[in-house]
Amino acid sequence: MKHIRLMTRIACGLLFTSLAQADTLYDQMGGEAKMRAISEEFTNAILADPRINFTFANTDLAKFKQLIFEQFCNLTGGPCKYTGRTMKESHDKLNVTNAQFNALAEDLYIAFERVHVPYHLQNKLMVLLAPMQKDIVKKHPAGPPQAAPKPGS
Amino acid sequence: MTNPPWRLIRAALICPLLLSATQQALAQTEFIGADQGKLHLTAGFNDVDGAGGAGLVPLAFITGYGSSDSWGANAHVTTVNLNDFQLTAYGVAVGALDRFELSFARHELDVVHGPLDGLGVDQDIIGLKIKLVGNTLYQQDSWLPQLAIGAQYKKNKGIKDAGSVGLAGLTSPVQLGAKDDSGTDVYLSATKIFLGQSFVVDVNLRYTKANQLGLLGFGGDKDDGYSLKPEAAVAYLFTRKFAGGFEFRAKPENLGADTEDNAWDAFVAWTPTRNISLVAAYVNLGSILGPVTGRTDDQKGTYLSFQVGF
Repeated sequence: MKHIRLMTRIACGLLFTSLAQADTLYDQMGGEAKMRAISEEFTNAILADPRINFTFANTDLAKFKQLIFEQFCNLTGGPCKYTGRTMKESHDKLNVTNAQFNALAEDLYIAFERVHVPYHLQNKLMVLLAPMQKDIVKKHPAGPPQAAPKPGS
Repeated sequence: MTNPPWRLIRAALICPLLLSATQQALAQTEFIGADQGKLHLTAGFNDVDGAGGAGLVPLAFITGYGSSDSWGANAHVTTVNLNDFQLTAYGVAVGALDRFELSFARHELDVVHGPLDGLGVDQDIIGLKIKLVGNTLYQQDSWLPQLAIGAQYKKNKGIKDAGSVGLAGLTSPVQLGAKDDSGTDVYLSATKIFLGQSFVVDVNLRYTKANQLGLLGFGGDKDDGYSLKPEAAVAYLFTRKFAGGFEFRAKPENLGADTEDNAWDAFVAWTPTRNISLVAAYVNLGSILGPVTGRTDDQKGTYLSFQVGF
């Protein structure tokens, strides 16, 4: 009887501790420093990827990195506000294909690996990004994939 | 007569040939419109019957790395080494628009131990699969799985070399009690990627009368009709290129000459690149032809599959 009571107490204690420590994904991944590193490496991986780098030819990279950071930070429960356009607005004229969307996802996995985010945490962020496919990919692209227009043009 | 060691050697020779053919095809993939636009692990594997899947069971994924705007293909060689049997399977599968899949496969079964040592059976399989709804990779905000329906026409090519085990004249599984030497399986496959948990779960229902995958014919003296058999697979994603898990495949029991069991396996799957995929498994197919051979132990052993594609 004593043993059962003791085990119950330990089990409850463990449960309470784990609940109390339930960090946001943002914290689990390593907070602002890690998120900025991911954004940096993600951008590098995209620019090195011939499948999609041409679509970023006119992109303001400093702004892009900041928006990626804000978006990931916000999605993972961090203390940030995303100040960019919606995914639908920002990809509307780009004729993004599924292959390009998947190439981008692969570049993000590569970035995660470069900054040593554990794979199971990588997937927890991917879960939040994957449903954006329906806003980003054009079902029937009207023409060949294009570079984003120059800012202000 | 082709003996099993020669079959293995031949399989080993086919692999580099497939690889070199694939590399040549790859050099021209832009020309032929193959975009290799899917993520690793989602397209490179063919199951034992040649359909896009894992090892023992098909999945709702369409074979080949072609995205929804493109196409892809895989060739596979699989060898299953059991206590008394060795199965060599090989074939090609083509996927188009991430919706349609067409596959051709050949099974060559050899008895390598026991009273039937030396006997062999071959069969051909033509498979068609159509993705019905869903895209489970992207639909992480939904409980809906990806659904596909498939059909496999199987034609048993007959029993060979029965004379060598004193059964001269035995040339067809029909003589063992099967009703037909050909049959068609129809299956519904539901696959869900639980990406946040790094798990893939698949459940299939197969409408079948195939005895031992069709290698012992279709229908039988005990039960001539079709039956609905469940299948399942679960896999944990260890990395984006390496997974491991379990599969289960229920099989009908139509033949008096066989006490057919369900099959299961524990597997690892690896895609070092989009052009090479490997599956290694420990497989248990249950007893095969126990009442005939007197060897009623489970037939278990290794499952090794090598596939090349784009």
